[in-house]
Amino acid sequence: MSFDPATVAAFVDGELDDLTARRIERDAVSDPALAAEIARHHALKAELAAHYAPIVAEPVPERLRALLIPRAAVDTSLAARREAKRMRFGPVHWGAIAASLVFGLTLGLQPWMPAASVGEANGTIVAAGPLARALDMQLASTQPSNTPIRIGLSFKDSAGRYCRSFESRSLNGIGCRDGDGWYLERTMAGQSGTVYRQAASGELAAAAAAMMKGEPLDAISEKAARDTGWTRR
Amino acid sequence: MRFEEELVELLPRLRRFARGLARHASDADDLCQAAIERALKSQDQWQAGTRLDSWMYRITRNLWIDERRAAGRRGVHAPIDESVTQIAGDGAAEVEAGALRGDVGGAMARLPDEQREVVLLILVEGYAYREAADILDVPIGTVTSRLARGRETLMHLLGEAA
Repeated sequence: MSFDPATVAAFVDGELDDLTARRIERDAVSDPALAAEIARHHALKAELAAHYAPIVAEPVPERLRALLIPRAAVDTSLAARREAKRMRFGPVHWGAIAASLVFGLTLGLQPWMPAASVGEANGTIVAAGPLARALDMQLASTQPSNTPIRIGLSFKDSAGRYCRSFESRSLNGIGCRDGDGWYLERTMAGQSGTVYRQAASGELAAAAAAMMKGEPLDAISEKAARDTGWTRR
Repeated sequence: MRFEEELVELLPRLRRFARGLARHASDADDLCQAAIERALKSQDQWQAGTRLDSWMYRITRNLWIDERRAAGRRGVHAPIDESVTQIAGDGAAEVEAGALRGDVGGAMARLPDEQREVVLLILVEGYAYREAADILDVPIGTVTSRLARGRETLMHLLGEAA
């Protein structure tokens, strides 16, 4: 064989200049060892390609798509969110939205759980009841998997406030600690089924990423922040 | 095209690459998710007009390396597969030729990380040597020598004997 193995490999990988490539092609016709070496390389490539090809054909999991196109991901609640968005800009409706959120939460969580998971302060929705307790105390790293309110990311926003994303059956959102309360800076309809859960997580994560200053808190700094009452530093 | 839309189009290929690195589907998708989140946060570091795919592959690969190192520091010897202990490069020659015929996943798992990533980028993803060297941030000679060793090991284990 008149070519060294590295050159043959480069030939198969399409890395040779045209002139050398043509010489190899020509020689392979009359050099069985060279032809066999080329065939061996093609066989390996084909085997690798066949092994990995099905992955490209798989549908992309919704949790990944949702990170990039959150709006398309939850078509079914588009109307609900459009309405929520409209109301967010109308201070007149705060009472109404608060009431409906209370209703929603009461519906969604265990019926025996006390209502009033959101309240109103200074014209803004704040967390109350179980939601406030979860935001105050619950750590993402130690929460049980079946917790009715699941804490997602904890982070600091550009104003230096601690913010935490949460999900529950009827309400998802991000609360930011200011003074004594958790102000709900983002709210979106919770997912009562599990089907859209990952899509909702993606949307929340995207909202959190947009508000976040620096990195999200890890388990240690999350605990430290809780133990100091989520006060700004 | 918007950054996010370009990324969405890239996802099927990125998942393939991640699966090649992490092997298990759920680990691979976790890796993809971390890479997407990192990309969204570092979006301003990507220069429009340059190749988004190479940039994403680099992010994904670096996160994977970080994870492997962190696992090492925690004392977790994270084998690619529970049933497989990694045979670094030359050790593979002691295994009978064709011992893993047809088991591409098993053969890939036996490659050292730095050879497997080169094999994935060039032989599976179809990158040129130069592009792979840029993604991995190593000299092109390093890429070709790792590729040659990885290739020989795979051919040996899969029975593509000379």
